Amino acid sequence: MMNISETNHTQEVREYQLIMKNDIREVTKLSAFLKEVLEKLNFVPSVATQYRLAIEESVVNVMQYAYPIDTEGYIEVRIRKDGDRVKTMIVDGGSPFDPTSQKEPDTSLSAEERQIGGLGIHLMRKLVDAIIYERIEEQNVLTLVKELRIEN
Amino acid sequence: MKTIIEEIDGKFVAKLSGEMDTLAAIEAEKVMKPLYQAGGKDVVIDCSKLEYIASSGLRILLNILKGAKAAGSKVVMKGVNEDIKTVFKLTGFISLFEFED
Repeated sequence: MMNISETNHTQEVREYQLIMKNDIREVTKLSAFLKEVLEKLNFVPSVATQYRLAIEESVVNVMQYAYPIDTEGYIEVRIRKDGDRVKTMIVDGGSPFDPTSQKEPDTSLSAEERQIGGLGIHLMRKLVDAIIYERIEEQNVLTLVKELRIEN
Repeated sequence: MKTIIEEIDGKFVAKLSGEMDTLAAIEAEKVMKPLYQAGGKDVVIDCSKLEYIASSGLRILLNILKGAKAAGSKVVMKGVNEDIKTVFKLTGFISLFEFED
């Protein structure tokens, strides 16, 4: 018996892109972009805030470390919905830098002992569901994945 | 984002409103830097109108706290919303500060 079934694979794949310079003043542009896009993607507000923060921290990190000091460089932020999850790729043309290999700060230390650094990457790791770093043809490509329905 | 510091009843009260992204934090630090050496006065950080804070903002708060501890005074976080509390929990800052609603 022939069982013919027709499945409609409608995959929502929408991509939003922002190209910016590695200049801290561009954070204003990034914040506006993230707020707009994450709202369009129907994130629950608290989850949108988490994702926004993770992306901002990653981008700021790239601004600080990827390019040599006083060198203008680009950073691309591409946000793409893929079914129930959203993937954000942060792409730059700087020297190889893998934020996932950085040491975790010790969050149990007292105020006097706490170091000022490392918070940004720590938050990036804790606020998303998956992180993938790749070095592809002279570019750092960092992908931050966030599920749409689950709160961290 | 707006940052206002007032002296009320012998304490410094810093009111933070809006969103403290990394750029806003740079500006806010200019206003808040005097609190790094508050001269033994307690500091209240009123976050009831603060909607968002990046790690650069947390760094400012940690610097204020370090200064206060060295001088034997307190830093109280007032009116912190749930989203920001989550950030405090994830970074371990939740156990460093006192919170008030």
